[in-house]
Amino acid sequence: MPNGQNNAVERERGFDTVLIANRGEIALRILRACKDLGLKTVMVCSQADRQASYGALADTLLCIGPASAGKSYLNKDAILLAARLSGAGAIHPGYGFLSENAAFSKAIEDAGMVFIGPSAHSIATMGDKIAAKSAMIAAGVPCVPGPDSELPDDHASVAAIASEIGYPVIVKAAGGGGGRGMRVVLDAGALQESVAITREEARQAFGSPALYMEKFLQHPRHIEIQVLCDVHGNAIWLGHRDCSMQRRHQKVIEEAPAPGIAPEIIGPVAQACVEACRQIGYRGVGTFEFLYEDGGFYFIEMNTRLQVEHPVTEMTSGIDIVQAQIRAAQGIPLTIGQADVVVDGHAFECRINAEDPETFMPSAGTITALTLPSGQGVRVDTHVHAGYTVPPYYDSLIGKLIVHAPTRTEAIVKMQAALSEIEIEGISTNLPLLRALFDDERFAVGGTDIHYLETWLKRRSAS
Amino acid sequence: MTAVDFSDPATIAFLAAALEAAGVGGIEIDRPGRKLRIVVGRDAPVAAPLVQTMQETSGAVSEKVAASIMGVFHSHHPAAATAPSALPLEVASGEIVGFLRIGSILLPVNATKTGVLTRRLAEDGSVVGYGDHLFEYEPH
Repeated sequence: MPNGQNNAVERERGFDTVLIANRGEIALRILRACKDLGLKTVMVCSQADRQASYGALADTLLCIGPASAGKSYLNKDAILLAARLSGAGAIHPGYGFLSENAAFSKAIEDAGMVFIGPSAHSIATMGDKIAAKSAMIAAGVPCVPGPDSELPDDHASVAAIASEIGYPVIVKAAGGGGGRGMRVVLDAGALQESVAITREEARQAFGSPALYMEKFLQHPRHIEIQVLCDVHGNAIWLGHRDCSMQRRHQKVIEEAPAPGIAPEIIGPVAQACVEACRQIGYRGVGTFEFLYEDGGFYFIEMNTRLQVEHPVTEMTSGIDIVQAQIRAAQGIPLTIGQADVVVDGHAFECRINAEDPETFMPSAGTITALTLPSGQGVRVDTHVHAGYTVPPYYDSLIGKLIVHAPTRTEAIVKMQAALSEIEIEGISTNLPLLRALFDDERFAVGGTDIHYLETWLKRRSAS
Repeated sequence: MTAVDFSDPATIAFLAAALEAAGVGGIEIDRPGRKLRIVVGRDAPVAAPLVQTMQETSGAVSEKVAASIMGVFHSHHPAAATAPSALPLEVASGEIVGFLRIGSILLPVNATKTGVLTRRLAEDGSVVGYGDHLFEYEPH
């Protein structure tokens, strides 16, 4: 695109004040990125978070509602009003809450402000799993075997599709995600009932009974590819991550790069993702999530937002992904090409949750003492401090411990040391679980599948 | 039924947390010979809620009028020809003591009890958030 047109887009999308529509560690992370870019910040908060010290770091702090997320962080009208009252030119949604809400993105852009994320159309396309799969197939991104269309109503046709895919299959809600609205069918005898139950669940949970069917992979890993796109048609990928260490579809440990996958295997897949971004006119950052089994990649969904685990890719690529996301939203063209992207060393991230390490029940309360690790290659993203009270109303994530070292083995040693240094008193945390996992021999080898942690926990309970 | 011990620090802490979570500025509980007053303040941004227990029931007690919604605060109607009354000011329960402007909509801020407005806590024309204190007053 000629420079004149670039400048016009930058003028149109330029802003100097960002409203941060989130809370906790990611709100602080975004605030720091804005400050580094010389942007003013407006932090909105709920009544439960108004005493949190990180709010005082913003140029403006505005309480938008009661503790309930539905009346504060999920309240689109309140956030838009806060943006108008404070003169913000852009809204950063962070992750969770309204970050993948197409109507929110549209309302912001309709109000003449910039949504720091993709267009409403991109969010809606990727939010509909069938539409997303169609778009991926069109771009040459490998998908899980199964039609990219809604399941028909009559059982005979559904049975024929299942038979063609081959059992076991998985039936999923088109509007679902995050592990909800899906059911594994092992054989033909269980098909009719499984489809009927899942259809009803989908109708109730997502407002649409639309289902689709795929081959059920039995021992896959969760691999994802980070992309970055500007509004001028430039798109690159920044590396890949392995997020297979999950409990109930919630990631516990992430690492970059994914171990044991050769560049010549993942490179073409990542290039197809970049091509898909160009085809759908995607802007900002995004993550393509895949199941990886027996050397094959199978697209599962695209997250049209910043990911919790973005720091591991920042550590290996040296690129500040949040700053890059904001600059892309401002209409500034990418200043690097694919050839400039490197993967240096290995990084791990541990999600530190305020929860019981055995029962996983959330643990709200006041942190009475806090010791955080530091040193070269050690990073802690957190908003908490000694004296901070973890409210009971929100996600239990209170921080992320990230390490970076030249090799995976060295990164494990560094994480073990960091985990031995960190102390959090006054509330329960999952630190004992994280320490145990980093001492696990199978995890140390790398390449464990998405069922590993659940099996590991069952074995621990049994013993 | 067991009577609640309002002198128990754990009970007070629980109430303070519940008030804060509900966005309520404060509460007073009268018992024969003693009174408990909890004020959830934002004067000290990082401080814990201010909790005061009072053994005597005599004397003036100040409370806060909080914003029920975010908006631009006006201590008097923007179209009013006369200047706002000086404080302290006697007000009746339900009386309009200020306004919150949201776009072209002007919402009244009402006194919840009859009493005396003693101090204005928000600047005229400033943006206030949900639950921000607008006035200090002493109810009768």
